[in-house]
Amino acid sequence: MWLGFPLLVMVACLLLWPLGVIAVRSLTFGTGHLSLRRYADVLTDGDYLRSFLITSLLAVLSTVIAIALCVPAALYLERTRDRLSRLMAAAMTIPLSLPGIVIGFFVILLFGTTGVVPVTARQVFGNSFGQLAYTFTGLLIGYLYFNIPRVILVVRGAVAEVSPEAIDAARTLGANPMHVYRRVIIPALLPSIASAAALSLATAFGAFGTAATLSRGYRVVPLDISAAFTEQFKPELAATLSVLLAIVTTAILVGVGRLGERRTR
Amino acid sequence: MTTPDAMTTPDAMTTPVAMTTPVAPPRKDPVVLIGKICAWLAVLICLLPIPLVIAVATTRSWRQGFWAGGFTLHWLSEGWGRIAGNFGYSLQVAVGVLLIDLAIGFPAAWLLARRRFRGRRLASAITTMPIAIPGIALALGLILTYPGLRPSGMLLVAGHVLYTTPFLIGTLTPALGNPKLRELEQVAVTLGSPGPHRLLTVTVPSIRTALLAATILVLTLSLGEFNVSFFLFTPIEQPLPVELYSGYVTNRLEIAAASTVWFLIMVVPAAVVLELAGGAKVGQA
Repeated sequence: MWLGFPLLVMVACLLLWPLGVIAVRSLTFGTGHLSLRRYADVLTDGDYLRSFLITSLLAVLSTVIAIALCVPAALYLERTRDRLSRLMAAAMTIPLSLPGIVIGFFVILLFGTTGVVPVTARQVFGNSFGQLAYTFTGLLIGYLYFNIPRVILVVRGAVAEVSPEAIDAARTLGANPMHVYRRVIIPALLPSIASAAALSLATAFGAFGTAATLSRGYRVVPLDISAAFTEQFKPELAATLSVLLAIVTTAILVGVGRLGERRTR
Repeated sequence: MTTPDAMTTPDAMTTPVAMTTPVAPPRKDPVVLIGKICAWLAVLICLLPIPLVIAVATTRSWRQGFWAGGFTLHWLSEGWGRIAGNFGYSLQVAVGVLLIDLAIGFPAAWLLARRRFRGRRLASAITTMPIAIPGIALALGLILTYPGLRPSGMLLVAGHVLYTTPFLIGTLTPALGNPKLRELEQVAVTLGSPGPHRLLTVTVPSIRTALLAATILVLTLSLGEFNVSFFLFTPIEQPLPVELYSGYVTNRLEIAAASTVWFLIMVVPAAVVLELAGGAKVGQA
């Protein structure tokens, strides 16, 4: 049992104790009395509610698009299984190794003021368009980029369980492709789609690097935490927002994951 | 009519449609075709930025378009000049983090793979911690709890250890639990091999692929870590991603692209090796 001791010490000193400190700091006021007032303040503040709304929209939209793209893609990779599709699968995992800031830079490189799309558009069409790096769309593209490999990774393993016979039979009976996806493939993959969604949503809610690189206007919660701590020098406010964000991400991972498990019973 | 029900009814099979239309080969099946389009689209999205970064980094004057003013390696050498010091520092941090991770994670993975004990599920839940709790919240907790450790750089190392150890444990645990390895060790025991000798000559060589994967994983995660590092770095020495970030905010696009090329050279080949050695792992964004 002593083998687990180093891990226990690490978790206690670097995780549990600091999380406890954040929780206490978020609840403590000057003379040491405890109150939920900061939580009430944050949850009634228009700016912070807007941040939570924008973060939720980015997380949900990027997750939905990633699932719509990656479920068919995973099915294809699993059913072809040749050298090429193995290479394609490896290519799709590349974004996993890139930190959020690099993903944010990719969006700037493509859609920034002097990005590839605007510069090329000016040369070809005479006027530049596509400068959307610092808009909601730009953020969404960045979030989609890091969610694609996450969804692929989770769904790919489960696709093997969808019986090719069921798909072929449905096709033979005249079901159109949309129907096959809706009635055969998606129901069979529901548990793994749920856990992919949980992973993708939680990652998006916690994403800091991508948002920091693209943050000229749209605020997401991790940026608010950073601003509260480094710009406004309000560690207690940063602590309150951190607790709320950690509750959201943990609840998504546990809750959405469970949802998938229950549906299969 | 639900399709699976229809499949099981015998009269559905005798309909003229089923008799006259042969089963389409999978590649021409529109269901797989949609999959093929989606898969190529996903590959395109994932790969496209990489050649574009290289193109911008090697263009003399990017505002005028691809390779306007000619091809140049000037930006790449300038980009390297800006990040070389940060890279050296980050590599030092990463190696330190790896050693601490191994000291903490190897015994813990051993325990998780081979012993049943109360709280085992709770202990294995630690491997999902880096996704469950945003890096910025972890970093805030560390900086508010141990502000005195920040100037020495110890807090940055601590943050990276906290973030990466779960990945190391998650990679080593299945390898250490492999029944074939357990059998091999039993054989070594019956042949009288003493514990430490057995560990070094039987166990470690058997899990070398997992150890390699864990090493690459921890080094690349630490090299690219930004979310935890942002609050914890010291003003004197900045880790590589923090320098990249300030470059993205202030530098001209060519230099930012050039620094990124160097970063990609360090990380992407390692990621491909990792995928081939047993699958990628999921970190934060």
